[in-house]
Amino acid sequence: MFRMTLQQLASRKLRLVTTSIAVLLGVAFMAGTLVLTDTIGRTYDALFADVNRGTDAYVRSDSALATSTTSEQRARLDASLVDTVAHTDGVAAAEGSITAYAQLVGPDGHAIGNPDLGAPTYGGNWLLDDRLNPFDLVAGRAPVADREVVIDKGTAEDAGFAVGDAARILTTSGVQDVAIVGIATFGDADNPAGSSYALFTADAAQRYLSAPGKVDAIKVVAADGVSDDDLVARLSSVVPEHVEVLTGAQITAEDLRVAKQGLGFFTTFLLVFAAIALFVGSFIIYNSFSILVAQRSKEMALLRAIGASRRQVLGAVLVEAVAVGAVASTAGLFVGIGVAWLLRALLPGLDIDVPGGGLAITSRTVVVAIVVGLVVTVASALLPARKASKVAPIAALRDVALDVSGRSVRRLVAGVGVTTVGVAVMAAGLFADAGLALVGLGAAVIFVGVAVLGPVLARPVSRLLGWPLPRLKGMAGTLARENAMRNPKRTSATAAALMIGVALVAFISILASSTKDSIDASLEGSFTGDLVVDSGSLGFGGLSPELARRLNELPEVADAAGLRTTSAEVGGSGTLVLGADLARMADVFDFDVRRGSLADLGPTQIGVLETRAEVDGLDVGDVVPVRFSETGVHELTVGAIYGADPLGAAYLLGLGAYEANVADQFDARVFVNLAPGVDAGVARAAITTLTDDYPVAEVQDRAEFMAAQTAQVDQLLNLIYVLLALAVLIAVLGIANTLALSIFERTRELGLLRAVGMTRRQVRSTVRWESVIIALFGTGLGLVIGIGFARAIVKALNDAALTGQGLGVFTIPVTTLGVVVVIAAIAGVAAAVLPARRAAGLDILDAIATS
Amino acid sequence: MTMVQGSTDQYGTRVGGDEPGTTAAARAVGLTKVYGSGEAQVRALDGVTVEFGRGEFTAIMGPSGSGKSTLMHCLAGLDTPTSGLVAIGGTDIGRLGDKRLTRLRRDKIGFIFQGFNLIPTLNAIENITLPLALAGRPPDQAWIDLVVQAVGLGTRLRHRPSELSGGQQQRVAVARALASRPEIIFADEPTGNLDSRTGAEILEFMRHAVTDLGQSIVMVTHDPVAAGYAERIVFLADGHVVDEMTAPTAARVLDRLKKFGE
Repeated sequence: MFRMTLQQLASRKLRLVTTSIAVLLGVAFMAGTLVLTDTIGRTYDALFADVNRGTDAYVRSDSALATSTTSEQRARLDASLVDTVAHTDGVAAAEGSITAYAQLVGPDGHAIGNPDLGAPTYGGNWLLDDRLNPFDLVAGRAPVADREVVIDKGTAEDAGFAVGDAARILTTSGVQDVAIVGIATFGDADNPAGSSYALFTADAAQRYLSAPGKVDAIKVVAADGVSDDDLVARLSSVVPEHVEVLTGAQITAEDLRVAKQGLGFFTTFLLVFAAIALFVGSFIIYNSFSILVAQRSKEMALLRAIGASRRQVLGAVLVEAVAVGAVASTAGLFVGIGVAWLLRALLPGLDIDVPGGGLAITSRTVVVAIVVGLVVTVASALLPARKASKVAPIAALRDVALDVSGRSVRRLVAGVGVTTVGVAVMAAGLFADAGLALVGLGAAVIFVGVAVLGPVLARPVSRLLGWPLPRLKGMAGTLARENAMRNPKRTSATAAALMIGVALVAFISILASSTKDSIDASLEGSFTGDLVVDSGSLGFGGLSPELARRLNELPEVADAAGLRTTSAEVGGSGTLVLGADLARMADVFDFDVRRGSLADLGPTQIGVLETRAEVDGLDVGDVVPVRFSETGVHELTVGAIYGADPLGAAYLLGLGAYEANVADQFDARVFVNLAPGVDAGVARAAITTLTDDYPVAEVQDRAEFMAAQTAQVDQLLNLIYVLLALAVLIAVLGIANTLALSIFERTRELGLLRAVGMTRRQVRSTVRWESVIIALFGTGLGLVIGIGFARAIVKALNDAALTGQGLGVFTIPVTTLGVVVVIAAIAGVAAAVLPARRAAGLDILDAIATS
Repeated sequence: MTMVQGSTDQYGTRVGGDEPGTTAAARAVGLTKVYGSGEAQVRALDGVTVEFGRGEFTAIMGPSGSGKSTLMHCLAGLDTPTSGLVAIGGTDIGRLGDKRLTRLRRDKIGFIFQGFNLIPTLNAIENITLPLALAGRPPDQAWIDLVVQAVGLGTRLRHRPSELSGGQQQRVAVARALASRPEIIFADEPTGNLDSRTGAEILEFMRHAVTDLGQSIVMVTHDPVAAGYAERIVFLADGHVVDEMTAPTAARVLDRLKKFGE
């Protein structure tokens, strides 16, 4: 029995290939992501262990704040503590370390890097002790004078800087002119995980980057014979309150975690799409095996008739599934290694620096790829295999059984039931706040439920979709429509694969357009100014407050108000908090104050966004504890409740409160209102002249500003589309596979049609239009589901105000979805190319002779 | 597309006149078909010259391997002869490409196979008018009505093949072959899958199509009873025409066939 199965497999190599591709692509994507993660992880592990080798202890403030959108903020230490530490028994050397915002301006006048979207841009001090300094000079020398810096090799190469060049650096203290005296590597890497570094002398770093007399941390080398733990214990007893001491190993691990964090998001993202690809693939495998089993039902019935047990028949199909799964997973693993190599080549484009070295192919990757591929294949083939084993021997005498699944009440009930469970699971995830994984699971269950329902819908919907075909394409069109309707199960299972991809595309595009329209709508109503000077940064660096002051001095400007951002802990969770000169701000931005007054918010008061206040049950006069990284916890009184916010933050401080609690003062944006009667062009020219001194500043008018706010959404959207294209591609392969198998099954019929006068062209047309109907059926289902998903998510966002603000607008991007339908139809045509060619090329005599 | 009568037609080369009665519905001249090469070479047809007249019901008989099916396939443009000439009406089909050959089959040839004659997704009347629908030509309603009436399907015209008995399916197949009023109809063991009573009905109907409707039919069969319905029988053996018989009866055919065994 086993040998026979293998012989059959060998005789159907082509079929094996088409079925395998679906598994292969999913596995390849997954394996590629794993290999990449391992490769980068391995190099990072080595890199950070190497550069921190000399650090035995690390002293810093224990007060840290981080939100999902900003990097960690931590209070600074007094530089005097360095001496205390250095003179502690058991310490061989100690040095203060400064790490703060600093951004080099390139020779072209533009700031290098984008700390808000890409890797951070840092400034710091050049550590004098080789054991503590993670950098190694590769050119020039260390900084010794006030305005000398060493920069990392990666940035030097990107911007074209060499030793001896003059440069400008944006810092918290303004723009500084410096001389580049050295270029350094970070261990073997050009820089740490893509971050740029400019390293001053310790004095200059305090003056320009942090604050005089302040350092961010103290790095310590233990004296001979003193263990790290011992050292930490000794230091802990001498440092003041709110200062913590870590071992070298602890800080290395933490650095590593931070470095891998950006990458972690990226890999999770990729793995989600690999899972989608495999999910879509499983539908295709299920379908392929269903058709194979249907086509072989006579053969299997014969086997049963001559005495094969159900077990043996079931086993035969499963052996075939295992063989397909094993071959496809193995091939997928190898293709995946290629994918990893490709992704690694793409990463620098995303500002993630990947050190060189070979790809890390761990046994985990191999095992996971093969096991997942095998499990998905075998699980997908299980139902068809069970059905195969149930074939009654009498079936050998009958023609191919009629597919009456379109009229099955049981199927209708089961489909509705499964879909309902999926909706319930998703709703639990969305509205009961039970987590994102549950939402995904609910979505998958809904897809399965609709796939179960599919055959019930396939006949009437195919009839409807194919309605114009007899008129347009004559007999070829009639036959295409009839063929799409004749196997509702097959049509529906084939379409289901495409349905998933289309549903996700529709969902994402609706979510994006709703987000954009919501942003537009909220800004449209509230932003009353004429121009915006944008730093492109939220909370890490930005524009010196000096700019707003100077803008206000221009005769063309009526009002210029800067908006600052920081992270703070409000009610126990880290969040974005805004600060602004609220009296001026009121002229350029309508916060839509509901209760209280924003304009005279005092240094111990806070404004709260209405939706947030409702969730937290806050009102004017209530007290909220707010913890700042620099100054600790403060009890702030709610002074105003407002309805519109400019940056997606739920809390607002007056300048008094902001300046008192936040170390670095930067405006993320400056909103500008022009003086009455001033020509917009003239005013813009005057403002631009001024902002030329601030390399990160970008002047935008209303339209440009609005467009910029939504541009990021588009960028993310495009990346998602590219990845979803993979799922659609697999679905198209699935259609091609089904058509090929159907054509094999209809050989005699095609022979007859050709004999009685159907031209090759008409044969191709029939196959092509059948494919288009299937594609449009899947697209239609996908659109309905996608729109449903999007509606649910938007409602959930609004109800729970998961972010500070919900989405006020639900927009269906009709044009985009129209394009999706057209692309699906084209995909249908493309999927039919090879099967149609094969059908048209059938030898008529052979076809008629086949019985 | 309208048929062009006269000196040229849409299928290409003319071989003879088009007027009824002056030319055979189909003829083969020196037809040879060789399969394989070298040691394994088989000459299925070896210089066959034969004519099938208009308005005639001809049977082709011969033992297995005599080349009767190959002859029919070559005549019908389903197989390409190694050498020799085949003409349907006035058209030399040897020079036609696939496209013109397909159109020729559609417009000028009718087919009745042993089994699987119908498209399962189309109902009876759609199957009958299939060649016309493929051509995009409106059916000659009076003719179709005549054919349908003669076939006697009556109320079953809207039924799919799976809802028809074997005999009914084969009647639909015959009606389909007649629908485009072809130059000639080729039937390959049309009663092979039917019981004798149903088979007799089909054969009676085919004879009726020739005598009363003026059609031309060539039928390949090994059944002397079926051949007895034909007006003329062509006997093939080893790729050669070895005998002919006119006004056959089942008994005479059986006698003749016994000689092949000697």
